Amino acid sequence: MADSVDPALTSSSASASVPAQPASTIANPPSQQTQNLPIRESKSAKSPAPSDNQSSKNKDASKPAAAFSDAAAAAGTDKPLTPAELKKKAKAEKAARRAKEKLAKEAGGAGAAGGSAPGAIQSRPPATPKKDAAGGASQKGQKAAQPRRGSAPTGQTAADEPTKKEDKSVAVFGHLYGQPRRTTIAGAGKEVHSAVLALGLQLRDYVVCGSSARCVATLLAFKRVIESYTTPLGTSLSRHLTTHLSHQITYLSTCRPLSISQGNAIRALKLAIASVDPSTPELSAKATLCEFIDNFIREKITVADQVIAQSAAQKVQNGDVIVTFAGSSIVKQTLLTAHKQGKRFRVSIIDSRPLFEGKNLARALANAGLDVQYSLVHGISHAIKDATKVFLGAHAMTSNGRLYSRVGTALVAMSAKERAGGVEVPVIVCCETVKFTDRVALDSIVVNEIADADELVSAQPLQQVTGLVDPEAPTKPDNKKGGKGASSAPKPDPSASLNPSPSPLSNWKDNRNLQLLNIMYDVTPAEYVDMVVTEMGSLPPSAVPIVHRMSTNL
Amino acid sequence: MATTTERTAAAGSKPFDIVATYNELLRSDPDITMPIAAIEALVHVLTHSPSSTISETLDLLEKSTAHLKQSIPNPIGLSAGTDLFQRYLITTLQRPGQLGPAGDFKAIRTHLLSNGRLFIRRAKESRQKIAAFGRGFIRDGCTVLTNGGSRAVASLLQKAADEEGGPSAVRFRVIYVLSSISQNIEEPSGQPEGMETVRALRAKGVPVSTIPESAVAYALGKADMVIVGAEGVVENGGIVSRMGTYQIGLLAKAIGKPFYVVAESHKFVRLFPLGQYDLPIEQHVVDFKSADDIAEDKKKKQHSSGDASGNKPIELPLSDSVDFTPPHLISALITDSGVLTPSAVSEELIKIWF
Repeated sequence: MADSVDPALTSSSASASVPAQPASTIANPPSQQTQNLPIRESKSAKSPAPSDNQSSKNKDASKPAAAFSDAAAAAGTDKPLTPAELKKKAKAEKAARRAKEKLAKEAGGAGAAGGSAPGAIQSRPPATPKKDAAGGASQKGQKAAQPRRGSAPTGQTAADEPTKKEDKSVAVFGHLYGQPRRTTIAGAGKEVHSAVLALGLQLRDYVVCGSSARCVATLLAFKRVIESYTTPLGTSLSRHLTTHLSHQITYLSTCRPLSISQGNAIRALKLAIASVDPSTPELSAKATLCEFIDNFIREKITVADQVIAQSAAQKVQNGDVIVTFAGSSIVKQTLLTAHKQGKRFRVSIIDSRPLFEGKNLARALANAGLDVQYSLVHGISHAIKDATKVFLGAHAMTSNGRLYSRVGTALVAMSAKERAGGVEVPVIVCCETVKFTDRVALDSIVVNEIADADELVSAQPLQQVTGLVDPEAPTKPDNKKGGKGASSAPKPDPSASLNPSPSPLSNWKDNRNLQLLNIMYDVTPAEYVDMVVTEMGSLPPSAVPIVHRMSTNL
Repeated sequence: MATTTERTAAAGSKPFDIVATYNELLRSDPDITMPIAAIEALVHVLTHSPSSTISETLDLLEKSTAHLKQSIPNPIGLSAGTDLFQRYLITTLQRPGQLGPAGDFKAIRTHLLSNGRLFIRRAKESRQKIAAFGRGFIRDGCTVLTNGGSRAVASLLQKAADEEGGPSAVRFRVIYVLSSISQNIEEPSGQPEGMETVRALRAKGVPVSTIPESAVAYALGKADMVIVGAEGVVENGGIVSRMGTYQIGLLAKAIGKPFYVVAESHKFVRLFPLGQYDLPIEQHVVDFKSADDIAEDKKKKQHSSGDASGNKPIELPLSDSVDFTPPHLISALITDSGVLTPSAVSEELIKIWF
């Protein structure tokens, strides 16, 4: 099994360095510290195609934003407005917006009202009438008019774009489409530190991915913020630094919603800042805070991971077949620890699109000499057939004992528990207590994260070598993708697999009645989890709130 | 037991033998539980050995614990006691003040020993407490199904029987499941485990019916509840108990009868078994054999009758084998710190350990 996997992996690793490049050039990373992080480079698992896509998108998307700031500047310099005038202007804008809304409503949701709506009141000028990736990026995630819902469309509706009006957000998850993710650093506040700016883009592009890695990276960036911070005159460090940090935090959360672990770490840091004695000299206060961050990372993540790996590895026995989902760093550490202890077992990795986090895990484990089987989530029933244990990573554990993790985790846990005609397979979750939250999750709809739906669109990566056809065959541009297209199309197109042709979904935004949903997480019910391994010991999921209470009170 | 004493005799250079003490304690006092015997043995170790520093004490303790655990075929119950004692020592030593690391070691030592004894006395009283908590579960006219030789269950039932001094204030009946295994192997002529309790209950005027394990499903329809004892209560709220408890739990769940566990809180073990075969003990309950294997075994037995104990790991005799009852089968645990749901066990354990 492992053998059949290897070629695909090596090819993916070969292409890995390519896509990572553009991302980092955009990010223009001023920071070296991220290199030492336990980062799961999910980016490297991606195909070159989507990242190229992204880079061009980023470049183009910077245009409207720049134009926007220009316009704002122009408006500012036109005439100094008095407060009364400002108020008047705001009122007029509001009225105009209402009128436009009405029009849009009359036009019946499909809303061809663009032309008639007064474009002048748009806060954002129609910089890109052309329908390209940039247009898509700026539209995506916009809270466009949705006739059924009462929520008022903002002034930024794509009303001025005559091409399409349809709301591309999936209705059930409508509340999750907040503001679109930031695409550039343009428009970020001047208070935002360069390390944080870079980190924001890395988070956004999944260069820094995974709950713990994001937490560590955030803390390290904040450490640099604190190091370069000087208290302005007239305030005290404990008061001003908190607001200074919250600028950074706001910026980070516009790049990608913060993870639970980030939230917990930030809360702890803010508490530490608040408890700094105002009479302490600034230098020593900063040193204390930096030390606090280092200790936090060491205690809550680095050492915690070691402890968890040690105790979870005890549960691995000779002859086990261990199923895991996607690429959790702590599960990787656990399996490697067990392997080092001389235990003989097989690992079956279940992975899923679009992040393919399991590929790195598969490669790391295979390199370490483990027997690895890799399959995508549609092969779950096959993979679970001879499983003896399931190890899962976590994004968070909620107070009702539920596991909040990468979408697909619930499916794996459920398959293990409800395996037909077999003994049930124990499901073990490895999770640091910093990921515990006092929130409660009943389903994966209320709280979740929606990623860019375009990630789902990208054509199959080129790693598929098996489906290649005779390169001599006549080129026929069709929209089939990868090997699948090649096998199903009567006249397969070699260029489809050589240089990826646009996938059938590439212009899904123009396609009415078509919505794409790229959800990030799901919730696994507590009954599907047997055991949670934390640095404070192994617990049943019902003990999560108790441990959370204890670890936050300490 | 014979093998263990032989082993320790062989290792006789030690001035004080913890294993022998442990076994002796268990034998001499029928009311003592395994964890308490272990703690008492450890206290004996401390009194007999003149340790002068904290680290020496802890080291000695650790060594004796490891030795004890290795020499006993089923260390689950025992490890609850040793872990608890160790934990207690460490917290005592960490506490600031006269008895902390800064204080006089002799004072610390005497304090430890006296508190250790106090702990043992309290643990012995816990059975009375449990009986007081659990009495309310047994009501007039109900029928209780129970098994094994748990002293906690026995004391609970007897307490219910002689309520208010009068003869059997609560009128209840007992269906006692008697194990068939222990009858013929360990004491071929002796009575099955639990027969004593049956007699005591009958003497108190409680009607008792004894059934074999195979009749549990048949008899469960007549029972209102199941009450069992436990050897150890594990972290997820499940129990490690006498072989056969798991199947009673499954049957009770299937028929919809409440399944209560009676256990002292010192039996809570820091152990998290994922299933029946994840227990840290060697027991060969399921042993596949063909005719050849049997013949070979016989030959071996005749051959090696002279040198009894080799270097083989100690195996649990079938009569002492245990199984694991998962928490979802348990309605409640009646302990000396109150009536707990299985999920509350981990909370109790965390409280002790952190």
